[in-house]
Amino acid sequence: MPDPATGRRRALLNETRCQTCSLSSLCLPLALEVQDMDQFEAIIRRRPPLKKGEALFRQGTHFTSVFAVRSGSLKQVTTEGSGEDQLTNFYLPSELVGLDGIDEERYPGTVVALETTTVCEIPFDRLDALSESLPELRGQLYRSMSKEMRDDRRMMRLLSRKTADQRLATFFTSLSDRFRRRGYSPYSFRLSMSRADIGNYLGLAVETVSRILSRFQSQELVAVSGREVNILDLESLIEVAAQEGCR
Amino acid sequence: MPPRASTAPGSDAPFAAASPAPAYAFYPTPQAMDDGIGAEDYRRALEHSNAPARPLSLYVHLPFCQQACYHCTRRPVTTSDTRLTEAYLTRLDREMVLTSRHLDARREVRSLQWGGGTPTFLTLNQMGDLIDRLDARFRLAGDRDREYLIEIDPREADVFTLRHLEALGFNRLSLEVLDLDPEVQRAINRQQGRGLTEQLLDEADRLGFNSVNLNLILGLPRQTRDSVAATLEQVIAMAPSRLSLFHYQHHPERFPRQRQIRSEDLPAPQEIQGILQAAIAMLDAAGYVHIGHDRFVRGDDRLAKALEAGRERHDLVGLGVMAVSRLEDLHVRNPLRLEDYEAALDRGELPTAVGHRLSLDDRLRSAAIERLMCDLHLDLAELGEAFGLDAEAHLAAPLARLARAESQGLIVRQGPGWRVTPTGRLLIRQLAAAFDAYPAAP
Repeated sequence: MPDPATGRRRALLNETRCQTCSLSSLCLPLALEVQDMDQFEAIIRRRPPLKKGEALFRQGTHFTSVFAVRSGSLKQVTTEGSGEDQLTNFYLPSELVGLDGIDEERYPGTVVALETTTVCEIPFDRLDALSESLPELRGQLYRSMSKEMRDDRRMMRLLSRKTADQRLATFFTSLSDRFRRRGYSPYSFRLSMSRADIGNYLGLAVETVSRILSRFQSQELVAVSGREVNILDLESLIEVAAQEGCR
Repeated sequence: MPPRASTAPGSDAPFAAASPAPAYAFYPTPQAMDDGIGAEDYRRALEHSNAPARPLSLYVHLPFCQQACYHCTRRPVTTSDTRLTEAYLTRLDREMVLTSRHLDARREVRSLQWGGGTPTFLTLNQMGDLIDRLDARFRLAGDRDREYLIEIDPREADVFTLRHLEALGFNRLSLEVLDLDPEVQRAINRQQGRGLTEQLLDEADRLGFNSVNLNLILGLPRQTRDSVAATLEQVIAMAPSRLSLFHYQHHPERFPRQRQIRSEDLPAPQEIQGILQAAIAMLDAAGYVHIGHDRFVRGDDRLAKALEAGRERHDLVGLGVMAVSRLEDLHVRNPLRLEDYEAALDRGELPTAVGHRLSLDDRLRSAAIERLMCDLHLDLAELGEAFGLDAEAHLAAPLARLARAESQGLIVRQGPGWRVTPTGRLLIRQLAAAFDAYPAAP
């Protein structure tokens, strides 16, 4: 007799079908016809949910698959030669994890779940083969990679030229945008990452993050309670993010 | 600004290169202050300053250092305990309350400077806390033209510190580089690689800091013409917008740490003059313009000169141990010892220790020194007109001393004025000292 938890997990696994997935319009099968969807679903591996803090894969391990986030969120941590951990990415539902491992056939960073997280594993050799026969799939794969490159460039600009206020404002506006694209409220969301994670990602001391958060709150740009974020004035926040140079 | 060590030149050889002279960043130098002036005088002067309402500058002295450098004349409190600073910040806040209640709340703080010690000895949260307290007690300017400067020891700050400081509203940095030669650094117990400074300069540039100043000191132990040239070459390659060349003041009798410096390691007077000459030639060639005192700016100096001149007319309110305040007709200084400073505040009193009320004569001499050091030219007719008196007659004694300098080729008489020669430029402090009416106690 299976216990209820196992039953729920089974149900969740069985639900991992692109046709019923609410994220399919954002994910790889986005451009696929219904009849092609079955072929795509056939290559997907179902995986049990990751617990908070559990690694999806570790830096330097052999690249085999890309992963689509179904629920929850993850962070990518890259350890440089100096031994310092740099938080290099956050992944939210519908986003693809592991695309940056294709060329060197190794994952360039460790990816860890920030909360209970489910992912769909897509073995890359099979995805590659399938995209030969499904040009729409190949097109979507290119678009995902292109978007990742664009995001990286934006992050580079952010880290190389922006002040602490601009960094944090940009972080909020881009999160807001990511939630909006997934059909959620762009004004109200939950941060799964700690302030230390946010600081590490943005190249700021955690004290700086906290200080600017309280300033944004006193300026009534955002209201933050624990990890719940309410964006009160998105327009002004976008303005802060776009400012140039010293105030 | 913290008081700098100073002595007037010896009377027998006033213009010898070896005679150490104060920087004369302001006059009278702190030597002139005595304990006839106290908190009550300061309080009244603060209240009187509200009518002319000159622009307000704040200086906050943060005396803590991780480690003692042997050359230092700023009497730092050496510790690694950041809890000490909590108690100090509480006293600073009390001093702000006691001071600001005598100032018109509408007066805006145009210029803020944190000096030390090592201001970044404070934790990031303590720095935020201090800015919040200042903001609560005074009206801090928020426009782009404000000048909010912090002194940085490159060993005690990184890119995260600068990002935090920018978020707190600082828009100017002054980096204490001093000298890049490892031997000189060893001799002053301050090992500091060039990379530390470069990394901060790059980040300051990315963050859009308006101006970054590098401080160097000439006359340090083991310096030679060649070693200073090598330091300057590296510093010029970093292309800071400003450079300050301070002069080492060796007074081991007053600054016990300087006893660690062997006097035979100090460059001889002739060598110092060679160092100065080489330094000024290199800066000229690299496009740095002298804007008076020890300061140089890269490229266009007009704006910088105007700002310097403007700052002379600010009312300066100093906060913290050793801090000097300069109002139009009164200069005061807080106690030199932390215990005395804290005790006064714990009694609920302004911690004024000594002071000096400026006479007309003081202001006349101050203006003469200012012109000499900033313009390298002193027009006595103009000066007399500004003060409504016969400057020539009034300043007869100092001018007689200048005449002696003329015979040494440091300055030449030109009509109603005096012009500093290129050689005299190197000894400008000694020329300024001719006007100092308050010789130091031997």
